[in-house]
Amino acid sequence: MASLVRSFATNWLPALVIILGLLAVWEGYVLIFDVQKWLLPSPTVIAVTMVEDAALLSRHTWITLVEILIGFGLALVSGVVLASVIALSRTLERAIYPFVIASQTIPIIVVAPLLLIWIGYGLAPKVIVVGLIAFFPIVVNMVDGLKSVDPDMVRLMRTLGASRRQIFMKLQFPSSLPFLFSGTKVAMAVSVIGAVIGEWVGSSVGLGYLMIRSKPQFLTERVFAAIVVLSAIGILLFLLVGLVERLVIPWWHTERQKRALENSV
Amino acid sequence: MSLATIYRPARCELVHTPDELELMMATEATESSIQPAIQVTGVSKRYMQNGTSLAVLEDVDFVASDGEFVSIIGPSGCGKSTLLNIIAGLDQPSSGAISIYGQTDNDRLGGVGYMQQRDLLMPWRSVLDNAIIGLEVQGVAKAEAQARARALLDDFGLSGFEDEYPHTLSGGMRQRAAFLRTVLADQEVFLLDEPFGALDALTRSQIQEWLLGMWRRVQKTIILVTHDVDEAIFLSDRVYVMSSRPGRMTLVQDIDLPRPRHQEMVTQPEFVALKAQLLASVRGEVASG
Repeated sequence: MASLVRSFATNWLPALVIILGLLAVWEGYVLIFDVQKWLLPSPTVIAVTMVEDAALLSRHTWITLVEILIGFGLALVSGVVLASVIALSRTLERAIYPFVIASQTIPIIVVAPLLLIWIGYGLAPKVIVVGLIAFFPIVVNMVDGLKSVDPDMVRLMRTLGASRRQIFMKLQFPSSLPFLFSGTKVAMAVSVIGAVIGEWVGSSVGLGYLMIRSKPQFLTERVFAAIVVLSAIGILLFLLVGLVERLVIPWWHTERQKRALENSV
Repeated sequence: MSLATIYRPARCELVHTPDELELMMATEATESSIQPAIQVTGVSKRYMQNGTSLAVLEDVDFVASDGEFVSIIGPSGCGKSTLLNIIAGLDQPSSGAISIYGQTDNDRLGGVGYMQQRDLLMPWRSVLDNAIIGLEVQGVAKAEAQARARALLDDFGLSGFEDEYPHTLSGGMRQRAAFLRTVLADQEVFLLDEPFGALDALTRSQIQEWLLGMWRRVQKTIILVTHDVDEAIFLSDRVYVMSSRPGRMTLVQDIDLPRPRHQEMVTQPEFVALKAQLLASVRGEVASG
């Protein structure tokens, strides 16, 4: 219990202190200068709005969360497959990689309205925007991971008589997992942005839509409430990826800790 | 030709009479008894580097009989590892021939166990699962492979550590785990490339004696590359001395010390005499190289 408290203190206390400090300054500023709430609502007003609008917020949050999760899931699957193909064949790497990079240079804000025209108003265009943004960090990191496999280990596998496929499945793929998780964390964070952009361009539900609709109504406190919820989603999903990482590659953390310990001695 | 190919026509008794068959089997028996585990004949290896040809190995001859322990010593950079790579099938010679139990096929990969300088344990696999990777590659069912590995844990001093990740183990234990992986893959010849290089002296001499015990039990042919003359004499039936680039065999020395060997022998006169002779040869190589 004591160690739990201590680990909470070292892990979360610094962030908590900064957040509370910023909120206090914000609250004080709004109070002292009597700022109108349509211009800048105080943290307490935002908190009250969140409670009052809980039903509304949760309805829109649910939609956005579904968009994020489906889009991210598609990005993860297609990213892993694409990275494997790129790492397995030099020819396919040369054929595919330029398109992977080009896909990131297209301004998503331009593509999103087109998607709307092409496939309509529903869930699909948002999911595609999320997927387009999220698959890039996954592919790039995973390719790096697959390629940075220890060449001596490849030689070992070959002397054991391993086929190209066995080397990939038993050596390359597992050794690339730490890279995959690094990419996945970035992808998770940008997925949230992707969903909001998708909703801004055209939708009737979701937190992005709620923001767009609330702003011209001068419901600034509701815009902020949506931002708070979005941030919370981002942080929670990021932590979730970290948790999955610890479950899937537990050796990675203990090994890293050991190395850090050896370096500090 | 394997025994199976001789038996096959015998069953239908159209191709060979029993007498013929007997004769063939007798020939086969003598052939295999004189056939060395590894025979390297006139092997040279050149690499192209910046347009010039760099000779790494030159006309190397090398023999290891079935069940022998043979060491190769030489200065660093003499091409010892290149020779092992060629024997293992990771690399092909520029000229010359390699025969493994009579097989001269270029596709030798998988036939020769190769333990490199680093233990190369996979950090995401437990000690037990690292040990069975060779069996997995061969298609042995995981449960069966694990059972075989468990049976040997005690002998390898790894009992109680089978579920640990490699990074929690000491250097000596990691090396033994790597050797268990080699033994389980059950190839007829083991190539060991300075496997004890990273260990401290005490661990090293312990693991040498242990290795000799293991070698007696598994009855495999072992080829050890080292730059430690003591180690080579202590372990081997025969020691080859290699020159520096281009690598050539400059001395072959039989080690007639009685077996089983123990660490006290390293100070006995026969051992010291052998050591003096080998050291002179190695020094000559360093000086001329």
